[in-house]
Formats: sequence, C-alpha cells, structure tokens
Amino acid sequence: MKLTRIGALLAVAVALQFFVGSSSHRSAWPVDFFLLATAVVARGGDFVRAVLVGGAVGMLEDALSHELLGMNAFAKAMLGYLLALLSMRVMFGGPWAVGGALALASLANDLIVAVLAALLLQAPVVLLSRESLWRATATGATGGLLEAARIFPWRQWWERRQLRRLR
Amino acid sequence: MRASNPVVEVVGPRPRRGGLVLASVLIFCILILSAQVPARGRRGSLLQAWILTASAPAAITLSNLSRAITRAFDSGAELLTTRSENSRLKEEIVKKDQELFTLRARVTSEELDQQLLAGSSVLPQILTAAPILLVENRAGLQSAVIGAGAQQGVSVGCPIAVPEGLVGRVVTVGRSIARAQLLVDASAAAGARIVRTGEVGVVRGDGRGRLRMQNIPTTSSVQPGDRIETAGIDGIYPRGVVIGGVEKVSRGSLFLEISVVPTASFSQLIDVLVLAPSPAREDAASGGKGAQP
Repeated sequence: MKLTRIGALLAVAVALQFFVGSSSHRSAWPVDFFLLATAVVARGGDFVRAVLVGGAVGMLEDALSHELLGMNAFAKAMLGYLLALLSMRVMFGGPWAVGGALALASLANDLIVAVLAALLLQAPVVLLSRESLWRATATGATGGLLEAARIFPWRQWWERRQLRRLR
Repeated sequence: MRASNPVVEVVGPRPRRGGLVLASVLIFCILILSAQVPARGRRGSLLQAWILTASAPAAITLSNLSRAITRAFDSGAELLTTRSENSRLKEEIVKKDQELFTLRARVTSEELDQQLLAGSSVLPQILTAAPILLVENRAGLQSAVIGAGAQQGVSVGCPIAVPEGLVGRVVTVGRSIARAQLLVDASAAAGARIVRTGEVGVVRGDGRGRLRMQNIPTTSSVQPGDRIETAGIDGIYPRGVVIGGVEKVSRGSLFLEISVVPTASFSQLIDVLVLAPSPAREDAASGGKGAQP
C-alpha cells in the first residue's frame, strides 16, 4: 500500500474515531477504527508497514486516551504483525473469516492492554466486559462488511442491472 | 460473491524484516512505558529505577571513596579551625532559634487559614462547560477527551461533572483539549460520604461502568437507595457533588461491600462542566511552586 493511501487511511480512522466518539450514541456501535486501519494495511502483507502503522495508530490512541503512552502501540504493533502474517499465510476467502479475525484481534488488543496496565499501573484486570465484547463484535462485523463490499462484483452487478432494464 | 470459507494457502515469504521492525517497535514501546511508569512507592519512573539499580554498585563505590578522601582531608583541616568554627556555630544557633520561633508562629496562622478555606469548598466553582470529544473504554481503563484546555483555565486535577453527578477529573491538559479519567475507570477513586448516615468511605470504579464503596464498617445502617456524594477529603473533588445511589449492600469480612450506581450516564456523555480544583490541591500546587528555588 502506498504511503499516501496509508496517510489517508489514518486520517479517515482518526476522523471516524472522533466523529463516533463525540456522539452520545458512541456505545451503540463502538468500532475500533484504529484496529481496522491497521488490519487494512496488514492485509497487503507488508510486515514492516503493518507494524509501523499499528505502532503509530496505537501511540495516537494512547496519547488521546491513556495514562501511559505505548500500551496500545505495543498491542497494535503486535497485532499488525500477526494480521500481516495471517494474511500472507492464509488467504481469507470471505467476510466471515475477516470479521472473526478482527473480532479476535480486538479482544487480543484488550487483553494485551489489560495485562500491561496490570503490570505497569497495578490496575485491576478487567477482561471480557460487556463493552469489550460489544466492541469486538462491532469491529468484526464492520470489517466483515467492508471485506464483503470489497469482494462484491460491483461491475457485473451493475451490468446485469442495466441489461435487466433494457429488457 | 466468493465462498465465505477460508482457503488455506501457504505463500511463503520470510517476514524476517518485519520481525526485526516488530521487535524494535516493541522494545521502543517498553522503554517508553518504563520511562513513564512510577516505580513502587512513587520513587520516580521505572526506567529511572532500572538505571539507578544498574548504576548502584559503581555509585556506591565512588561515593565511599569520595567520603574516605573527604574525611581524611577534613580531619586535618579541623585541627586548624576548631576554635573559630565553634564561635561561628554558636552565633548560627542563636539565629536559627529566632527563625524557628517566627516560622512556628507563621505555620499556626496558616493552619487556621487553611481550615477556613476548607470550609468554603462546599460550593464547587464551575470553570467552564466543555464538549466530550472522545470516550475510550478499554480493559477497564476509561477516559474521555474534553474540548477545553489551558486556554479555558483548565488544569490538572480539575473535577468534571454533569448536573446529574460527578464524572471524573482532568489528568492531562493541552492548550485547547484535555484528557480526563472517568470515575468508573478501574483505577479511579474518590472520597465519598453516605448522605443519610454521614459515614465516609472511598468510592472506586470497577472498570465496567459501576462503582464500589469501600471502608464502610459492618455496623453501618446503609441501605439500597441511599445517596452517595463526594466528601471533599481526598484533596481532588470538592464536597457535596452527587456520585450515585446505593444499589446493593453485602457483608464482607471487615467492611461492607457496597455496589453504587452512578447518577451520571457515562455512556451518553455529551457535555461536561469543568469545576475548579479543590482548594487543598491549589494550596499544594502553590506550596510546591513556592518551595522551588
């Protein structure tokens, strides 16, 4: 993926995160757009870019919302690598697999942050909370839908539609 | 649309370079985290603690050597200057006694002033209203980014609230935005008081959107429905801001285990009020500044 595209992707992720975060309905569909951005880059199979983008968006997320810089950066860099590895080793055939992988990645992100917070801040470990499960579901479903939209044969569908109209 | 079953196919690139970058990024993250994490007993950052530990043997050896040399030098010099030193020390002691007397009187006067100030913190002063820009809830760590910062007079430690109740406190301040720790964060706490019985305890977030009140003895008559408000004893939150209501009371080994439902709706925050920091905190800040050279 080109650097300009990565830049645009990150800008969109930040914009969406703020857009949803400012809404009073933020908890209705709490998608982790930073993780989605990491996954999109990782899908290209470039390990270096996936790790760097994961680290960068994680650092940004930490700067915005965490006491310590680096917890999400650590988690998302690791997830970027794992997702790139997954996309290179396993060719995903559909939105269900992508959605499932993203949901698992979201839970893994929470797990890593919880462990780091427990180790470094002596914070109580809170795992598999309702919010965490719902975010994993929303992130997975959104990723699955994006994948479905990506692989959908839009051109053939449009041509068929035009043909149907002509008849 | 393609089939939704994953098809396994080994492509086979060697992600060695990616692995190196990953290792570098993770090490960088660990170093950054270490630099920020307070060591046990708040003695500085963990990185500092590591560096100190590593350099301790050399530092101790050098210190011992330096002391031995200084002691030998001093003992030789003392023989020559003892008489004049003695008279100088006597004069210094007289001066110090006078200073001590003045300082004691000043401390007593300031304590009285502080008691008066503490009494006046019942009514929290509102600095500004700010929109919520982002709410993060991950692994029990709950925080919000608010649209007010140093420009609006917001400073670290300012409590934030909504008309329904307390929301949290500001922990990082930027020029025009600030980050706040929400009261339901797993590591947040506030001094609290049961309004009906007047008993004082500590309310802590559980990281899942609820609160727990601790340190209330088993002899208390607290019951579901009782209102909980800030006690003003923690030096952060002003007295008398509503926190929530008692949902459930169960008996623990030493203290009651009290589940509290916050009155502020944390999932639907849109705007918050930023309150002036507690007078005790302001005093501490000004005292800290005054102590600096």
